[in-house]
Order: sequence, then structure tokens, then C-alpha cells
Amino acid sequence: MKFSFVDSSQPSRRRVLRDAFTLVLAASPLASLARAAEESGAAGEAAEDVTFAAGPRPLVQYPQKRPMTLVTTRPPHLETPFAVFNEGPITPNDAFFVRYHLANFPTSIDPDSYRLTIKGSVDTPLSLSLAELKALAEPVEVVAVNQCSGNSRGFSMPRVFGAQLGNGSMGNARWLGVPLKAVLEKAGVKAGAAQVTFRGLDKPVLPSTPEFIKALDISHALDGEPMIAWSMNGTDLPFLNGYPIRLVVPGYFGTYWVKHLSEIEVVDHTYDGFFMAKGYRVPDNDCFCVAPGTTPAKTQPISKLPVRSFITSVKHGDVLPLNKSVVLKGIAFDGGVGVNKVEVSIDGGKTWRESTLGQDLGRFSFRQWTLPVTFTSKGATQLMVRASNSAGETQPLQADWNPGGYRRHVVETSHVTVA
Amino acid sequence: MKPMKFMTALLCAAQVCLANLAGAAPLSITLPPETVALKPSTLPGYPLARQKCSICHSADYINFQPPGMSLAQWTAEAGKMQHVYGAPISDQEVNVIGAYLAVTYGSAQASDADVQAASNPPADQPPTVSVAKVASALLKDNACLSCHAVDHKVVGPAYHDVAAKYANDPQALARVMSSIQHGGSGKWGDVPMPPFAQLSSDDLKSLATFIMSQ
Repeated sequence: MKFSFVDSSQPSRRRVLRDAFTLVLAASPLASLARAAEESGAAGEAAEDVTFAAGPRPLVQYPQKRPMTLVTTRPPHLETPFAVFNEGPITPNDAFFVRYHLANFPTSIDPDSYRLTIKGSVDTPLSLSLAELKALAEPVEVVAVNQCSGNSRGFSMPRVFGAQLGNGSMGNARWLGVPLKAVLEKAGVKAGAAQVTFRGLDKPVLPSTPEFIKALDISHALDGEPMIAWSMNGTDLPFLNGYPIRLVVPGYFGTYWVKHLSEIEVVDHTYDGFFMAKGYRVPDNDCFCVAPGTTPAKTQPISKLPVRSFITSVKHGDVLPLNKSVVLKGIAFDGGVGVNKVEVSIDGGKTWRESTLGQDLGRFSFRQWTLPVTFTSKGATQLMVRASNSAGETQPLQADWNPGGYRRHVVETSHVTVA
Repeated sequence: MKPMKFMTALLCAAQVCLANLAGAAPLSITLPPETVALKPSTLPGYPLARQKCSICHSADYINFQPPGMSLAQWTAEAGKMQHVYGAPISDQEVNVIGAYLAVTYGSAQASDADVQAASNPPADQPPTVSVAKVASALLKDNACLSCHAVDHKVVGPAYHDVAAKYANDPQALARVMSSIQHGGSGKWGDVPMPPFAQLSSDDLKSLATFIMSQ
């Protein structure tokens, strides 16, 4: 299914059966059985499990979550089982992906004593309680995609080190909070401010490990889009998604969406900590890419989401009926320009047809699409999906490459059989 | 194990409800126990990797990496842990760990000359761990203080607390020596203590004696 290579040959019959078993049971009360089956399967096929391409990884149970696909245990990284994206444009909180960089984070947080500090180049340093934060400005709401910079890294070719992600390190939620701008204006940003840095309660295990601190340019921090959110899809943030507050940076990769946000500092220089100056960087050119296997001469911090789209109603290896209408369904999104076209090919890219876009939940949201199709010839074929936005940006047919395995946005292909 | 995991999830769900209703209670979670392990090997990098890598991350960070990576690539990755993430490993240990990872998870063979060279440094170089040292040197060489402190919990328990727990146990020294030698989990939480199997019994004894006197 989602963990096989696009260009791989037919998945084994056993894999297809096992995937189907997992998908059917994942959302049912029998999920723990499915998990047990996965785990015992994994134990019996240890050699296979090393390779990302060889099959699905185990589903695991974490607090406030349905069974999720395991990437790493400590610090936790869990992916949304891909079938969830077919259920609707909003990703439920209990299925939303989880990603920590550093293992030393609290497992108990008291909202009554929680404080958010604002310091640095400001007129009035602040230490806000959650109640004070919520009362600071009129709450605002945005539906926005949070996508991990390395989402789909496991498909990079040549392969690269790093968390080996499928396509499940993304999600779309309705976020409620106050604009970052309102908080910074309350503190009063001094002239000469260059950037704003953000840190949360997740800390390194060793003092020698760099802290996870991210930075936004002051103009971005004050443009009204980034927000400090305490609510996700109408309820508190799940613990592992940043309870009680996180930074939401619509249109930007998840690395900036600092969880358990605890400290904001206005600085008069370009912040040079590891996770800005060395980590999460992409080649500094128009495609943010280099020839596969090479090193870029110059890099820049990763920033906005490129246009992406997926077919969610069909997975690799599915068998589809001949001469019968099938409604293909999926999602598309971009960094905030707004998707205005999603095209689908059912003949491996020879011809393309425009799909019907679903409800517009805002320019930062997943946009659902549907297209009824009828297959008129038997045999193997490839389904492909390609989105464009109103700035004319679209997806490449060939995947581009960078050493971090970041920012994958190639046209996705599903290998299916018509019978 | 599985029913326990399920119970944990149910309990946490209850805690969330409580927090929402009361609007004041702390939100607490229990993370599942860490069960994943590195692939065994007779190479000297295996015990070293179990000790050092597990300070900061679980073994699946390694187990799920792409297959076929070379000795140079795995050694560079171990070097990145040292230089970038501040892992308490020496240059020599980077090579020893890199060789184990490249053979076990990558394209290298244990019989490769460069793997042998990396795994068995020349005798005139000081070995990674030596015999009969004072406790302070042992603590430093084995990066014990990455996870432990005398008077407060870090990743593992405070030495004060270990000493208090075994204060009235006549077998205290043997138990603490065994815990260091074999590692374990569950006594102080779910994060496992890696085994330090290469320590001599003299070294184990001086460490356990030091801990029990805190």
C-alpha cells in the first residue's frame, strides 16, 4: 500500500491481503487484534521490516490516539494511517500525526500553572497564563494543513537517512487561537527586531544536544497569519500535538509549528541555532533541489508547502471493475495560494481529466476532489493525480531530490488492475 | 503486554475527560513501554551502540533506516550524532559504532578489512573502557551522567533514590551491580537502562559502591 515504491512491481499477494486486513480493522473495535496481528507478523518477518519498501510498519497505541503507524518510539513519531485521509478533509485529533525531535518532554502538564513567556527586544516582557492569553485578543480560526518537512522521505531515491516517512505525516485541522501579532504587539516589539524565536517544553536529553528552537522573520511574525492555538477541531489540543498551546504557521511546514509553546523571544539578528542554521534546510534555488546524490552549494531554511495531491479512495494493488462507474476521490493542498485545479489520469499520464473540487474550507486547508471514471480495458494501469494553484504552480512528473529528503511533491501514481 | 497497553490508553482517555470536566486538572499521559531492540552482533560496536545510542533515542531510529548504506555512510551518521547532536562518543567509538551499523543494517561485511580496522583499533591506542578505575572515571567513560545525577532524576533515577531504595537490602551491592551489567526497565520507569556488559566486576563494584554511598 502506501509504503511501496511507486515504481515497484506488483506487490506480493500476501502483502495485499495483509494490508487489506489492517485497513479494514484499523478503525474498528478490533483494532487491537489487528495490532497484535501486525506485531506478530513483524516479529516473524524481522528481515523485511528493516526496509521501508518491504511492507507496512506496526500500528501502535499511544495516549489519546487511535492505532497509528509507528515511525519511532522515543522520541515518538507516529503517522496517520493513510485510509483516514479518505474520510473527509479534516483529520480527526485522534488520528493526527505526532512528531517530536527530542525525547525529554513532560508527560504531565498543569494548565493552571502554565506560562508563556515573551521576552527579548520588547518594551514589556510578558509571562502569560492560559487565561490571560485567551483574553488577550478576539480569537481567530483557520483550517490549515500541518505537514512534516520530511513527509514521504522514505520514497526519496536515492534513499536518505532520517525518519523514514510514508505519506502519513500530514493532517488538516481547524485551529483556534490568538494571532501571534496580537501577543507581540501587547509586548511591544522594539525597532531593530529581525526575527522571533519559539521554543516549547520538549528539551534535549543531553545538555550537549541543540535545543529545538525555531525562528520566523519579524515581518512574517507580524503579518497576522501565524497564531498561538489552544483548540484543534473544537477541543483541546491532544497532549502529543502540543497541549496546551502550539504555534500554528499556516502554509508553512510543521517544523515551525512549535508544540507546548513556552517561550517567545524577539531578537535583533538572524537566529543561528542548529534547527534553523543547519537542520531543516533545502537547496537555495528555484526548485529547492539538486541532482540526486549531490550536495547543494548553498541552502536556505525550508518554508512553504508546495502544491500536493493524493488519491485517497484507491491504494496500490487495488483491483477495479471494468465498464462500471467508479468515483475516484482525494485531497489537494498548497502553501496558501489556493488549489484551483486537480487533474486525474487513469492511463498512466497519457490523458488528463479535470476533477470536481469539494467544499472550500480556506486557502490553507485540504481541498477534497472527486472524479467519476469508467475503465474500458482490462489489465494493469496507473492512476495519477496532479494539482495546480491559482499562481500556476503545479506538481512535477519526476520527483526532484534534496539531501534531507524534504518537501516531496511529485505527482503521485497508484498502480491498479482493471478486471 | 498488549492488554497493558490497552489499559493505559483507557486510563489516559479517562484522564482527559477529567481534565475537561474539571477544567483544572493537569493533563497526564503514559507513553507505551519501549520494546524495540538493536539487532545483535558479535562486533564490539553492538554493546557500545546499545549503551550510547539509547541515551537519546529508541532503537527503531536505526532499525528503520534505509537498507544498503555503506560503511562510510553509517560512520558519517554516527559522526553526525557526535558532532551535531552532542552524543558522548569519542572519534574511535564513532568508527566502532559505524562498523557495527554498516554490517548489521547496511552493505558492509564483518570480514571487510575496513570494518575489521574500525572495530579493532590498534593495541597502542587506549581501549574504550579500561579496567579498575575509580568511580568518577567510570562515570565519565561510560556516560552514566548523561542519564543520571546524584540528587535528581534525569532520564534514569537519582543515585540518591537508588541508594535509598536498596538501603535496607543486604543484597544491595549485588543488585545494583547486576542492574548496571545487564540493564533493565520497569523498576524506575519505561525508559530502559542499557546493559554495560563489558565492565569488569571490579568496575561494577566500584560503581555500585559509589552509588550506594550517595
